[in-house]
Amino acid sequence: MFGYINVNREKLNLTDRQIYQSYYCGLCQKLKESFGRKGQMLLNYDMTFLIVLLTGLYELEDETEEFICAVHPSKKQTARFNEATKYAAAMNLLLCTKNFEDDWHDNRSYTKKALSQMFKKDYERIAAHYPRQGQAIQHYLQRLELAEKGKERNVDAVAGLTGEMLGEIFAWKEHDIWAEELRCMGFYMGKFIYLMDAYEDIGKDSKNNCYNVLNLMHKETEQDFETFSGLLLTSMMSECAKSFERLPILLHAEICRNILYSGVWTKYEYLRLKKQTKQSKDEKKEKKEKEKREKKEREKKEKEKKIREKTKEKKETKQKGTEQKI
Amino acid sequence: MGNPYDILGLSPGATDEEIKKAYRALSRKYHPDANVNNPNKEQAEERFKEIQQAYNQIMQEKQKGGSSFSGFGSARYAGFGSRQQEDPQMQAAANYLANRCYQEAMHVLNNIANHSARWYYYCAVANAGLGNNVTALEFAEQAVRMEPSNIEYRQLMQQLHFGGTWYSSMGESYGRPYESFNRFCMSMVFMNMCCTCCCV
Repeated sequence: MFGYINVNREKLNLTDRQIYQSYYCGLCQKLKESFGRKGQMLLNYDMTFLIVLLTGLYELEDETEEFICAVHPSKKQTARFNEATKYAAAMNLLLCTKNFEDDWHDNRSYTKKALSQMFKKDYERIAAHYPRQGQAIQHYLQRLELAEKGKERNVDAVAGLTGEMLGEIFAWKEHDIWAEELRCMGFYMGKFIYLMDAYEDIGKDSKNNCYNVLNLMHKETEQDFETFSGLLLTSMMSECAKSFERLPILLHAEICRNILYSGVWTKYEYLRLKKQTKQSKDEKKEKKEKEKREKKEREKKEKEKKIREKTKEKKETKQKGTEQKI
Repeated sequence: MGNPYDILGLSPGATDEEIKKAYRALSRKYHPDANVNNPNKEQAEERFKEIQQAYNQIMQEKQKGGSSFSGFGSARYAGFGSRQQEDPQMQAAANYLANRCYQEAMHVLNNIANHSARWYYYCAVANAGLGNNVTALEFAEQAVRMEPSNIEYRQLMQQLHFGGTWYSSMGESYGRPYESFNRFCMSMVFMNMCCTCCCV
């Protein structure tokens, strides 16, 4: 579920890149502070986006801190924190713990079970502090399980579940004037994330006969499937971006736009490139084999031709010899 | 409420950025938290609400130019209640849609047996308002198939379809990831993906 909300670093200027990195570092430090070192493994870019978004909307003031990162010890890093960092760290924990539980139920992954046990106390503490979000995630998992067991075919119905859940996460303060708009943005982003997940797993799910909402479309031709899924994902991001543009965000708006219009497509473009490369490798392989076969055919024909010519020569020589004797 | 541009002190051709800047400046001034000790704090609160409404109206109208469905509860579309010969159930659905009560509209529509082109059109609008953009487009396309000459239905279908065009044009300057990568250089792409795991 995580890992789709990335930044396109090539298109981000140096200052914005540093700002984004420092919010990421800030989130990492906050996870460590709130949940210990184990909290740091939950770090992801998706929640970093949430920090940048909320910081921009509420124009929160940052505190900065220089520190030495265990993973990059060569030079000092700058971390940025504000109230949104604390909120994002909390949401990060709720989402990840539920993800682990989900993986344990679906795939019987013992690692994930152990992880969810590790964070159990933290989860209870955070869910008590943010009951609305905690319940949203709980209901989401229950409804998703039902929908997937019932093999729900309606794209909006099943993707909308992730949308509603993420909408609640985005709506930081329930009675705030921007709560509805944030909910809307989170809703479409959630739908995008669910469908990206489905797109990524379609090959594996088709093979193993597992539920995937895009299964029916995938049974059509490869090209139609690619076109359809591209349009589907674009329509979700388009609504999400429209919602963003309605918010009065000026601070860090360029970072948000980079993510919404470009960065979110990182995984998608990677998967498409992979498919195209595999396709061209397969085509090359087929071409080589065809050339090999044709070469063998040609050599066989040449051989047969030579044999026929030799036989003809021998016959002619024998005939001449017989005529001479006579 | 008066002209929303006047309320924000802007000219009608103001850019999105100008509108947002104006909103920020005014909302900071009239925000209830900034006027706790103000003897005229009730007027300040009234003004704050006006500013909020004006901003929302301008932003939604601006987006209507490209695609009217700001989705998920804030969709706006005119033209309901004007059909006189409608049967009472269809009229009820139209009224709900005009008042943005999309769940109620769907409830009424689901009880209507006759699936005319207009029924599909109303279902499209209701679904768009509920955030079901995929379903909305399917219904809109069906309405157009049944009545190809109806401009209202075509407009709706185009608005739902062309969210993609608006999005692509907005995103042009940001490009797409990996567009500069040679498609055969998968190892570089893969390394790039791994590197973004911990550094930007």
